Amino acid sequence: MTERISKSQRFKMMNPIIQFFKFIYLSIKIMIVVAGGHGGTREVK
Amino acid sequence: MSKIVILGAGISGHVAASHLRRKLSKEHKVIVVSPNSNYQWIPSNIWVGIGRMKSKEILFPLAPLYRKKNITFLQAKAVSFHPEGDPKESKPYVLSEYVVGEKKGTQEKVTYDYLINATGPKLNFEATDGLIPGLNKTYSVCTYGHADHAWHGLNELIQEMKKGKKAKILIGTGHAKATCQGAAFEYILNVEQELRKHKVRDMAEVTWISNEYQLGDFGMDGMLLSYKGMTMKSSEMVEMIFEDRDIKWILGAGVDKIEDGLAHYENLDGEHKTESYDFAMLIPAFSGHGFKAFDKDNQDITNKLFKGFMIVDADYTSKPYEEWSVQDWPETYQNPSYKNIFAPGIAFAPPHAISKPRKSKNGTDISPAPPRTGMPSGITAKLVADNIIDSIKKGKESLEHKGSLGNMGAACIASAGYGLTQGSGVSITTYPIIPDYHKYPKSQGRQLGKTFGEIGLAGHWLKLALHYAFIYKAKMKPFWWLIPE
Ligand SMILES: Cc1cc2nc3c(=O)[nH]c(=O)nc-3n(C[C@H](O)[C@H](O)[C@H](O)COP(=O)(O)OP(=O)(O)OC[C@H]3O[C@@H](n4cnc5c(N)ncnc54)[C@H](O)[C@@H]3O)c2cc1C
Repeated sequence: MTERISKSQRFKMMNPIIQFFKFIYLSIKIMIVVAGGHGGTREVK
Repeated sequence: MSKIVILGAGISGHVAASHLRRKLSKEHKVIVVSPNSNYQWIPSNIWVGIGRMKSKEILFPLAPLYRKKNITFLQAKAVSFHPEGDPKESKPYVLSEYVVGEKKGTQEKVTYDYLINATGPKLNFEATDGLIPGLNKTYSVCTYGHADHAWHGLNELIQEMKKGKKAKILIGTGHAKATCQGAAFEYILNVEQELRKHKVRDMAEVTWISNEYQLGDFGMDGMLLSYKGMTMKSSEMVEMIFEDRDIKWILGAGVDKIEDGLAHYENLDGEHKTESYDFAMLIPAFSGHGFKAFDKDNQDITNKLFKGFMIVDADYTSKPYEEWSVQDWPETYQNPSYKNIFAPGIAFAPPHAISKPRKSKNGTDISPAPPRTGMPSGITAKLVADNIIDSIKKGKESLEHKGSLGNMGAACIASAGYGLTQGSGVSITTYPIIPDYHKYPKSQGRQLGKTFGEIGLAGHWLKLALHYAFIYKAKMKPFWWLIPE
């Protein structure tokens, strides 16, 4: 086993308080990507 | 009065049916034909497959909901397509066969004005000799039944490991052209975490086997991701996770035969190898359902409707990888020969793969088929429904709603372990789904800010939140339509 994720990184990844803010941030970011619209690709603008 | 028939009540069929019903007045008929009595939220099958969710938590019966919402439900399977009718029936119809009740086995001509084929993939286990869920120690998590079964198999092995058995676990793709690597990726991480929770991790060797050329390809040609302020390849990210979790990997592997505890495969070097295991979860090849189509004189016109999956407004001209473009991908999912037939979700025939095609030294194709995940399945179903609604309201064809996978983002929230405080998830978003190498030549065809990765507990919460949100939406509870696809 190679420890590729350091202890401090792992702490941040699993800390519920840090992750709560990450959850809000990710939810907004994902909404922007996914609900940010879609369309065709063929129309010449 | 218009009659809209939807084949399939998976993510895309159900999304289409619910939007059509909400936006069309009662004089129009919405009919769903599907053989399964239940709606299932497939992404949560991963947790059923590790015993952390019961299958009843991810499904609900369709008939009562459809009755309440004035959607006609025929628990039947489509058998053949007759887009011009036949000598006795002037309207187009789908020949459907009931699968339960008094009418079981009887066939009915279900006529339509508009047809949405949302039958998804056939799980083509037969394409790999010996790959049968529950036999030869191989399992699947593609349906809730399979996932239940997989948990029984895994749990038995865990109990044996607790008594001292050393075990080999193999998870990945079970065919040279399989897709849905993302689901297998989630499952291997969840299984690995469960082994730790059951304190048997040191008794198991866990191996990823896949037809991908590189880790993190996911059938999407891999991606460059923004990760912690850096730009990282998805292959590097997955390698980091696998090494950290002590998961071994075998790549470029086209599994072609399964025997009891043995997976035979050919690799890109043309070598024929065998991997032994005590438990395997291998995703089968996905194929079309093998439907036939006939014209009004009962002549076979299958090739006008199907190319494996259903033909839509894609550019199917065969061309080399270097010439593939986002413009090849469909925008309206309309069949070019029969303009009142549409195929969103997985049911449409893709113009080609997304990942670079590769052959072994013996000429065997070993590379992933293109995945079509839940989010684009929902979005394409909604836009098909919206075009049909507009066409009905305007009294003429309207195709204003467009959604090419080359101009659409997707989120893949891959569970990496279950648990409110101990869980983890790998959240990846990509924009666009199909890489646009002209628009984004320096970032592997994708927009970097919108293509990013994150690892941590928040990913698990997100996946859990999506589970509840999408089941709420699927049950058409108050304001369900506010939740985006
Ligand atoms: C284990 C697993 C995990 C996944 N996880 C994710 C994830 O985390 N995120 C994500 O975005 N995507 C995920 N996916 C992919 C996602 O589930 C699919 O993209 C989605 O289900 C496709 O929707 P669909 O409606 O096109 O097909 P399906 O959901 O397969 O629905 C097809 C429907 O057609 C019906 N049908 C079949 N044959 C007939 C017939 N002859 N006549 C009438 N009806 C028929 C079926 O009963 C079913 O109701 C996962 C897939 C799997 C297998």
